Amino acid sequence: MSERRNLQGNQACALGAIKAGCRFFAGYPITPSSEVAEAMARELPKVGGTFIQMEDEIASMGAVVGASMGGVKSMTATSGPGFSLKQENLGYACGAEVPCVIVNVMRGGPSTGMPTRPSQGDIMQARWGTHGDHAIIVLAPASVAEAYSETIRAVNMSERLRVPVVVLLDEVIGHLVETVDLDDVPEGAEVWRKWAEGPAEHFEPYAVTEDMVPPMPYPGDGYRTHTTGLTHSPSGFPTQNPALAEAAVMRTTDKLVHHRKEIESYRTQDVEDADFLIVAVGISARAARQSVRDLRSQGIKAGLFRPVTLWPFPEEALRETVKTSGAKTVIVPEMNQGQLVLEVERLLAGQVAIERINRIDGEAITPDDISAKAREVAS
Amino acid sequence: MKDHLNENEFNINEYIRLDQMPHFLCPGCGHGIALRALLWAVHQLGIDKDKLAIVSGIGCSGRLSAYVDANTYHTTHGRPLAYATGLALARPDLNVIVISGDGDCLAIGGNHLIHACRRNLNMTCMMLNNEIYGMTGGQVSPTTSGDRYTTTTPAGNTEPVFDACALATAAGASFVGREVTMQIIALRDMFKKALVHNGFSFVEVISDCTEIYGRKNDLGASPEMMMSQKSTMRPFAYRNTVDVPFRPNAMKTGVLTEVDRPEYGNAYREMTAGLRGEKGGT
Amino acid sequence: MSEVATPKNVLIVGVGGQGVIMVSKVLAQLCQNNGYEVKQSEVHGMAKRGGGVFSHVRFGPKVWSPTIPEGEADVLVALEWAEGLRWINYLKPGSGTFIADCQRIVPPFACRNRGRGAEATYAPQTPEEIIEQVHAGFAIDATTMATNLGNLRAANTVLLGALSTALDFPEEDWLESISMFVPPASIEINREAFFEGRAWAMESDKRVDETAAGLHKAHTDIHNVDIDTVVEITEEWCKGCDICVKMCPERCLRMNDQLIAELALPDLCTGCRMCEWLCPDFAIKITNTPVTPPALEPAE
Repeated sequence: MSERRNLQGNQACALGAIKAGCRFFAGYPITPSSEVAEAMARELPKVGGTFIQMEDEIASMGAVVGASMGGVKSMTATSGPGFSLKQENLGYACGAEVPCVIVNVMRGGPSTGMPTRPSQGDIMQARWGTHGDHAIIVLAPASVAEAYSETIRAVNMSERLRVPVVVLLDEVIGHLVETVDLDDVPEGAEVWRKWAEGPAEHFEPYAVTEDMVPPMPYPGDGYRTHTTGLTHSPSGFPTQNPALAEAAVMRTTDKLVHHRKEIESYRTQDVEDADFLIVAVGISARAARQSVRDLRSQGIKAGLFRPVTLWPFPEEALRETVKTSGAKTVIVPEMNQGQLVLEVERLLAGQVAIERINRIDGEAITPDDISAKAREVAS
Repeated sequence: MKDHLNENEFNINEYIRLDQMPHFLCPGCGHGIALRALLWAVHQLGIDKDKLAIVSGIGCSGRLSAYVDANTYHTTHGRPLAYATGLALARPDLNVIVISGDGDCLAIGGNHLIHACRRNLNMTCMMLNNEIYGMTGGQVSPTTSGDRYTTTTPAGNTEPVFDACALATAAGASFVGREVTMQIIALRDMFKKALVHNGFSFVEVISDCTEIYGRKNDLGASPEMMMSQKSTMRPFAYRNTVDVPFRPNAMKTGVLTEVDRPEYGNAYREMTAGLRGEKGGT
Repeated sequence: MSEVATPKNVLIVGVGGQGVIMVSKVLAQLCQNNGYEVKQSEVHGMAKRGGGVFSHVRFGPKVWSPTIPEGEADVLVALEWAEGLRWINYLKPGSGTFIADCQRIVPPFACRNRGRGAEATYAPQTPEEIIEQVHAGFAIDATTMATNLGNLRAANTVLLGALSTALDFPEEDWLESISMFVPPASIEINREAFFEGRAWAMESDKRVDETAAGLHKAHTDIHNVDIDTVVEITEEWCKGCDICVKMCPERCLRMNDQLIAELALPDLCTGCRMCEWLCPDFAIKITNTPVTPPALEPAE
């Protein structure tokens, strides 16, 4: 029998993480993500996990990386300003390949912005927030059920690939209450990172393996390795050898290319014959879904392409969808001045007309906003 | 008969990564002496290297972790206490030692220090105080003494010195101590106390930066700097001695604070025990 | 008690950490309780370096000067043997009482020759020879007495017991004053220590504990172990910082022309390990091996 519960998007993230085996959460209060921390504080002790409210956003990210290096699945949650503060230690997790999950519930910006109003202004920050070339996965759920299942997938992917995963919600999904089937777990069993095995002598913690994911030593197992944010050779120790330095960065980014198939996830609706293809994520994609229905009822062939894995962007899938549908126009509605559209333009510029719909007023994009744009282009 | 000859024998080579040696510190840098005292205490306490985790930040002090044959983590600037908090909470079976510097611990990481002191999670923090940002070429730090030249105080430092031990005590640390590198045996014994202390222990080591700080301020080479550090200290046990009026600025050394307070990790697990086994929620 | 017309002078000496100040506070309190004016002056602060500590206690109906001039002390109480000898000229010739613990703490300045097997330059006279020279004197093994009672820290109270035979105060006043300065839990053991010292000194005007010579011998045995020291310097790790050269108490290291430390005068090396401890580059390793003396051939 399945367990169905009415949950908030933020709570769903917390329960999803616990379902996936997350046993450590360090956080800091920030609107509109505090409910993730509150749920974790209540639920983690029940399963033998640990919750701590740290002194600041930076420390909570540090503690999460520290706990994960100790061999415990770890997560934190935050919003815009806090996400900015976390970037330093998020970068460490990217460089040292420490699995961890960061829930970022987007709110209006810049700076303190509009803490209680929704936004999708962190699409680029989630990808490029920390400095330097790095690999990162960003997932963008569009419902509470998806917040639950995608957080599970986030924990599992971060473990399997040793890469930080950002779960990017917007304030609407974070605070939306919907029914979730807690037993609807996409991947079934808990996934753990690959642990180092075999002789400790001459063990190289960042050795190049076939799947490009090096096994991780468990502290206490006798490997006694060094972990650093400095560019390191396969031995784990810092290097400035140009060939080794290049190889170190290349492997972490190539790793995601290598595992692209399992990382990428997207949903489509009515794209087979769409003249208008709407590309949207999160709450904007829900408006787009209604808009597609509305437009179809008015005789305008619209379809929706919704990346669930936002980064790395499912670029082949989008190109293929455009090709097979024969869409002439792509509409990108988003609650910012145009971030997702930049990626769409990169992929489709010159092939289709690209239209933007942007709102930065703290209000969600409505189906009518999208339908009006489509009708305007169609006429 | 007790072996008086070899009671102080300690082979540091068993505790360092020989393939990483010689270390990268400048000639005469006191950090090496402090690291010996720390590892000596680890040895005398019989702590298993596999269960030893060294977490360091950025700067000259941060690099020390790479030379210790243990589970070592060279983290971000000022954040080793945050990383160590996560590590120690997630893995109470590990002995977590944080190696930090005066800039790392008091400036960029000051917030983490005061809250680590307050929280009293079981770990030991060694703060190496050489009064300077050495790695970046000699900028003023929160502990740079008055009037001293640094590259960012070309006319002399005017900022007051941060007393790390007073700060730690005020923030609620349950074990606070300070020692100079010259007193390596006292330093080792202090580390032994700090490592067995149940809770957060903070040890400030007065180290010397000879190559940059000493040279620019005519403080002499490392032997002279070490001797002058020793001569300005006042062991805490003698805090009421008659020379107090004549040396009002003498540096207090020794164990300055030692109190028994609930350890955070244990307290958390006890407090939340009631939540386990309950059904439902949310 | 009988009236004291002129001030009585008691000089208490010892090494830092032994409790010279505690002993003098007990005495000062006792005198004050008995209606005398008391002046006590002390010099200390060298304790951590093994330095001497002394305290002058003067009491009487009226006391002007806080210090005791040379040759004017009625009683000299020494918590450490050599310190007692250093101050012995302060004792009143012909009437002064000398009370000293046989415990020996060799001060750094007595170690002028730190070579292997060298003897400490330390009071050559035997306790018997010293006690012979004074009017009244006790070489008492207070440390062992206190240890046998179960608390080494009570050695000072044993000495106070001996001192009580030289000053005319009632027993109960002594005990009351002592109990004010010792931890409540150890009042009983200090009471026993006081009576033990008092009874021991009551027996005669001069007395030397038979264990005194033995203590001295045990110390010499430890000091005279012959050792073989090997100094290994890892040249690749040495950065030439000069710490070992400057910190070596015997100055037996030097920098070679490559600015690498080397052992220049191995005969002077005592194997003290100072260079090993303070080398920031972990480049020096000291190995001390005791040299077993060749077994004596049995006489034919």
